[in-house]
Amino acid sequence: MAAPGGEPALEARGLVRRFGATTALDGLGLAVRPGELYGLVGPDGAGKTTAIRALAGLIDLDGGEARVLGLDPIREGRAVRERLGLMPQQFSLYRDLSVMENLRFFGRVYCLPRAAFRERSERLLQLTRLAPFADRRADALSGGMYKKLALACALLHRPEVLILDEPTNGVDPVSRRELWALLHEFVHGGMAVLISTPYMDEAERCDRVGLAHRGRLLDEGAPLELLARSGAATFEELFVARIREAG
Amino acid sequence: MSGAPGGLRTALVQLLAVVRKEIRQTVRDRRVMFLLVVAPLLQTVIFGFAIDFQVDRIPVAVADLDRTEASREHARRLLADGTLRRAADATSAEEADGMLDRNRAAAAVIFPPRFGADLDAGRTARVQVLVDGTDPNQATVAASAVSRYFGEVGQALARERAAAAGRPLPGTIRVTPRIAYNPSLRSAPFMVPGVLVMVLLIITTIVTAMGLSREREMGTLEQVMVTPIRPLVLLLGKLLPFAAIGLFDVLLVLSAGGWIFDLPFRGPLAVLGVATLLYLLVTLSLGLLISTVSRTQQQSFLAGFLVLQPALLLSGVATPIRAMPDWLQAVTLLNPVRWFIEVVRANLLRGADFADLWPRLLILLVLGLALLSAATMRFRKRLQ
Repeated sequence: MAAPGGEPALEARGLVRRFGATTALDGLGLAVRPGELYGLVGPDGAGKTTAIRALAGLIDLDGGEARVLGLDPIREGRAVRERLGLMPQQFSLYRDLSVMENLRFFGRVYCLPRAAFRERSERLLQLTRLAPFADRRADALSGGMYKKLALACALLHRPEVLILDEPTNGVDPVSRRELWALLHEFVHGGMAVLISTPYMDEAERCDRVGLAHRGRLLDEGAPLELLARSGAATFEELFVARIREAG
Repeated sequence: MSGAPGGLRTALVQLLAVVRKEIRQTVRDRRVMFLLVVAPLLQTVIFGFAIDFQVDRIPVAVADLDRTEASREHARRLLADGTLRRAADATSAEEADGMLDRNRAAAAVIFPPRFGADLDAGRTARVQVLVDGTDPNQATVAASAVSRYFGEVGQALARERAAAAGRPLPGTIRVTPRIAYNPSLRSAPFMVPGVLVMVLLIITTIVTAMGLSREREMGTLEQVMVTPIRPLVLLLGKLLPFAAIGLFDVLLVLSAGGWIFDLPFRGPLAVLGVATLLYLLVTLSLGLLISTVSRTQQQSFLAGFLVLQPALLLSGVATPIRAMPDWLQAVTLLNPVRWFIEVVRANLLRGADFADLWPRLLILLVLGLALLSAATMRFRKRLQ
C-alpha cells in the first residue's frame, strides 16, 4: 500500500504523563497522516487512553508535545475541536435521550445548519443501519448499536481527524466487522483515523500499527511489514516477543 | 470584526441546545419533576401547619391538698384562659411529680393544705409549681402563665387590703403591648418565608449538583468537552433551566402561602424578585461547587445535605440568631441564607423596600459572586 503523504494530521512527540506515582505515558510518540488508519495496539494499562486524552486536549502533559492539524489541542482547543472527532471508550452519550435526540443535540452544539444536519444524519443513520431505531433511547441499544451511534455523533461535523478509544470493546463480531468497514470508508475519504484496541487480531486491519506497552511504543510499522521483520506468525506472538525483549 | 457576532450566535445556538436537552431530560425524569414541583407545595402546607410556635393547652396536673373554696376557685381561674389545660388531678405532691415523669402532664400545680386558711388570715399563701423543662419553650410558657396569674391575684389582694384598712391605693404600672405587623402572633407568616428559603436552597442546589455530576458519572461531560462549546456556555445552559424552575417554585410557595395561610405581601415585590435572583446565584453556584468535589450523583446528594443543614440551622430560618453564642453569630454573617431570609421576611411582613434592604442585597451579591468564581475555577480545573 502506498504510504499516504503530506504533513501528519495527528502527532505525538515524547508524551509523558504521570498520575501520582504511576507513569501512564513514558515518551510515547506517533504520527497519523490524512487518509491513514493508525492502530494503537496494546494491553490494558499500556497508556492508550491517556495518549488519546492528551491528543484530544482533555489532559495536561508532564512532557512532550501533542499536535492536531499542527495546533496545540489545549491552547488552541476550540480550533482543534471544530476539526476533531472523538469517540471515548466508555458510554458517553445521553442514555435518556433517543438516537435522534442525541444526534440533534450534537448537531446543534456543532452549529450545523438545519439542511446539512438533516442530510448528514440521514446518511449516517443509513450507513450505521440505525435508521429504524431513531426513536429508541440510547440506553436501550445493544453494545454494537450504541458504538455505531457514538461513531455517528463523532462524525456529524465531518472531522478531519477521528480518534476512537477501543471502539470494538464489548461489541459482537458482526458489529465489529461493520464498524471496521465504516472506518475504512471514512479513511478513504481522506480522514486521519487513530484507533486503539486491545485485540491483536485487529492490527491487520490498520494501515500502520504501533505496539504500546507501559506508556511507550515497542514497535511501529505496516502490519505485514512488522510481522515479516520479526518472523512472527501472528501479532500476538510478535507482541509477546517484543514485551519479553523490553523486559 | 465579523468573528465576534458570529461567535455570539454560535454560543447562543449551543446554549439553546444545552437548555433544550436539559429540559427534555428533566421532564422525562419523573422523580426530578416530583422534587421540583410537588415537594415545594407539600412542604409549604406541612411546615405552615406543623410549625406553630404558639403553645397552648399545656397539660397540667392539679394537686389540691387544701380542698377549700379558695383553692378550687384559683385552680379553675388559672386554667380558664386556655394556655393551661387540666389533664389530671393528683392527691399528693408525689403523685403530681410522678405524672410529670410519666409524661401525663407538663406541669403540676400544688395547693398545699392551709392555702385557703393562710389567705383568709392575711398571711402569705404558697402555691408550688413543678414544670417539665424537657421542652424549654413550653416550660417557659407554662411557668409564666402561672406566675402571671398569681401575680395579678397578689396585686388584687394588696389593693383590697389597702382599701379595707383605709390606706390610699398603691400606684401600679399597667403595661399595654401593641404588637406590630403580626398582631395575632400567627406562626405561618413567619414560617412560609422560611419554607421558601429552604425549598429554594435544597432544590436548586441539589438538583444542580446532581445534574452536573450526572454528566461526569455518565461520561457525557467528556464527549461534550471535545465539542467546540465553551465551558461557560455549557454551565449556563445547565443552570438556566434550574433557575427558571427555582423562580417557578418561588411563585408556587408564595401563592400557596397567600392562599392557605394569608401571608401578607406588604413590601414592593421587585425587592423580592431581585433578592430571589441573587439567592439563585448563590444556590446554583453552590450546587456547581458541590458537583466539582463529587464524582457521582450520590456523592453530590450527600455532600449537598452536609452543606445545606448547617447553612439552614445557622440562618435564623427556624431559630433566632440572637440566641446563638457570639462566635456562631459571627459565622452567620457569611451565610447567604441568613441574608435572604431576613430580606424576605422584612419585605413581605414589614413592607421593607430597597432603601431599607440594599445592604443585605449587596452582601448576597458579593457572596454569590464569590461562590460562582470559586465554582467555575474548580469546574475548569476538574475538566482535566
